[in-house]
Amino acid sequence: MFLDTVTLSRLQFALTAMFHMLWPVLTTGMSIYLVVIEGLWLKTRNLDYYRHARFWSKIYVLNFGLGVASGLPMAFQFGMNWAPFSEAVGDFFGTILGFEGTMAFMLEASFLGIMLFGWERVPPVIHWISTILVAFGSNLSTFWILTANSWLQTPAGGMFVDGKFVVRDYLQAIFNPFMVNSFLHMFFATLETSLFVIGGISAWYILKRRHSEFFSRSFKVALVMALVVAPLQVFIGHLSAEQVYRYQPAKLAAMEAQWETLPAGERADWSLFALPNEREERNEWEVKIPGALGYLLEFKPRLDRPVQGLKAWDPQNRPHMIGLIYYSFRTMVAIGFFMAGLVGATLIQWLRGKLSAEALPQQKWLMWAWVFAGPLGYIAVEAGWIVRCVGRQPWIVYGQLRTAEAASPLPPGEVLFSLVGLTALYTVFFVAALYFGSRIIRKGPNLELAAPVPATQPVIVIEPARHEPDRRPAEAR
Amino acid sequence: MESFEPLQRFLPQVWFFILGLFLFLYVLLDGFDLGVGILSLTASSETRRSILMTSLGNVWDANETWLVLMGGSLFGAFPLAYATILNALYIPLVIMVVGLILRAVSFEFRENANNKLVWNLAFGVGSFLAALGQGFALGSVFEGIRVDEAGHFAGSPWDWLTWRTVLVALTLIQGYVLIGSAYLIVKTTGEIQKTYYRTATIATWTTLLGAVFITISTPIMSEQARSQLFSPPLFYVFAAIPLLGLLLVALLLRSLRRREENSPLVYTFLIFALSFIGLGFMIFPNIIPPSVTIYEAAASPSSLVFMLTFIGFLIPVILSYNIYNYVVFRGKIVVQETAAEEAKVPEPV
Repeated sequence: MFLDTVTLSRLQFALTAMFHMLWPVLTTGMSIYLVVIEGLWLKTRNLDYYRHARFWSKIYVLNFGLGVASGLPMAFQFGMNWAPFSEAVGDFFGTILGFEGTMAFMLEASFLGIMLFGWERVPPVIHWISTILVAFGSNLSTFWILTANSWLQTPAGGMFVDGKFVVRDYLQAIFNPFMVNSFLHMFFATLETSLFVIGGISAWYILKRRHSEFFSRSFKVALVMALVVAPLQVFIGHLSAEQVYRYQPAKLAAMEAQWETLPAGERADWSLFALPNEREERNEWEVKIPGALGYLLEFKPRLDRPVQGLKAWDPQNRPHMIGLIYYSFRTMVAIGFFMAGLVGATLIQWLRGKLSAEALPQQKWLMWAWVFAGPLGYIAVEAGWIVRCVGRQPWIVYGQLRTAEAASPLPPGEVLFSLVGLTALYTVFFVAALYFGSRIIRKGPNLELAAPVPATQPVIVIEPARHEPDRRPAEAR
Repeated sequence: MESFEPLQRFLPQVWFFILGLFLFLYVLLDGFDLGVGILSLTASSETRRSILMTSLGNVWDANETWLVLMGGSLFGAFPLAYATILNALYIPLVIMVVGLILRAVSFEFRENANNKLVWNLAFGVGSFLAALGQGFALGSVFEGIRVDEAGHFAGSPWDWLTWRTVLVALTLIQGYVLIGSAYLIVKTTGEIQKTYYRTATIATWTTLLGAVFITISTPIMSEQARSQLFSPPLFYVFAAIPLLGLLLVALLLRSLRRREENSPLVYTFLIFALSFIGLGFMIFPNIIPPSVTIYEAAASPSSLVFMLTFIGFLIPVILSYNIYNYVVFRGKIVVQETAAEEAKVPEPV
């Protein structure tokens, strides 16, 4: 049956994870940007940096709320929908999630209050430290989540005894083969996505000639950071793919829609487009670049080791939805290269002196390219996770525990009930978030905002909401 | 069960205590948070609602995070309990999660919306649903979860719905309203504060009523509870808890009558603490009542030690910075009259 419990639970996990991912990907990366911009304010005492910090915080907090909200089902559904999995790997996987909660989430959530509402309650340096702690907490949580997920990809540090994972060596389990690269790849992904969102929004203001000088500042900070991040990310992505080649050959075959094994010593072509036909186990047609796969994997046209084709595994032991994995991978790679290229092109214009605050609005093509690149990071991140997790199938713990054996034996109707409910809610929230996000952007920053003054009395000032028109500075809302 | 080594007994006990602490802090802190949310449904004006929301602005996040801490730690320390309980409580937990999502999201959307009505409603209803789901979950764990010999859930998807779990859910909601009112008494002044003295008093009585019903019906309904209750050492504990509880309720009502500002919250905290101690004694040494003990559900000793090394050491740190957060934002919320408001005052003729 199509709508069996396993399929529904997988759909629900995919939905909740992909929806959840949209928000922390921005807040985690943006928190680092906020640390930088607030640091610049403290260093230069230029109020524009302070105003930037306040403006971007507004977008930040909208995303943060959605991230917390959509993260809750993630914390519970391992037990709810994947009870056999939770029992089997709880000793390690649960421990890591426990670490994430205690070490990362709490730190982030507690100092968030001060970061958002504490400008006039604590001295600037303490505020900056709070921002740093929020950023540290967010990224620590990336670290633990990627540790947990990498362990699912390359389980290490123990063994399964009677269907239960027994940890022998925690450090080995934590620093499993995928962990370092996966963490770095995600760390830079959140940062890169955020930098391009910030750069894109700044470029939009610059194009509209609204506060173009003000936004050329945030644009340049984002650009400088992206100059480091974007090329590095391409490189780490490359390292990650090499690791897949080594540790998860079936996933690599799916990423390349490679049905037949490529023997060692033969020219390894890289396919650019293909139309995989799973039933007949072949590609209807494909466009190939000769030798390119060889260069990608071992930096020479002919490989020393064979690239195994999908047919090397029985159908029940290899991933399905080859087209999805194949195109998701290509989408991610294309976006990664586009972003690195855009940063390069922008650097050239900068060196030619075309990025001064006055000249920037004339760089129409460049600015539009940045606006266009704004949402691309999200697509790349989602695509990357599809490759990573759909490509891991049919395993939930690679090579050890099958997804189909890991789902709770719930009645399908029960899962359908939650799946439909969450889909409806998430659709509304997604639309509303876009609406309110664009509202914040259309409203724009408050350029009259004065430096924070320590509050003389412990009072939170609020606005009676019935006031029309609203004349307060935008920041107090 | 008798074959467990001392270490294998001690570590799960420590973790039972830590998880109890996390759950207690969650119930206490998100309790007032959810309570204020439920009360926001009755707020008579947008200004008042803004005050309620402002009182939560800097803390709701951290408060909700205790639940994630609790979930993660339960997963790591007692994987079997995490798997079985969450599997068994699927529907109430979906209700809770949907409620919490609705609440968190409305909180942010409301800030940016012109038409706040939808998000106000979503915030209040979300808070109510979250409390309801938690009440059912708590009630079901209290009632016991049907499991097979391996400790896996073996009941029906609707096991969580009985008249006793309904009672627990309603009582928990009352408890949250009580603690929310007590928090608002601390955070507000004047007319608004008066409202919450009133709701606190009402909620004290309704909570008491529910608690009395639960306390009396437990030994009547459950044989296991009976044997637990009337065995010698614990008998004194269980005799002392209701008496102390009644004393605290009396003190709470007196402090409300005297219009004291901080002591109602303190008494409410103590009442919650007392109920929790009672609940802990009732369930211990089980983690999936009535049949799976903490020793059977625990992760391996090395996992428990590993987790304890990091999390145990962090607990005081977490508590410190949480307290710091409250200290930074201490004090009352007042509405500052704005220039726009003054401009509307009619000029003298």
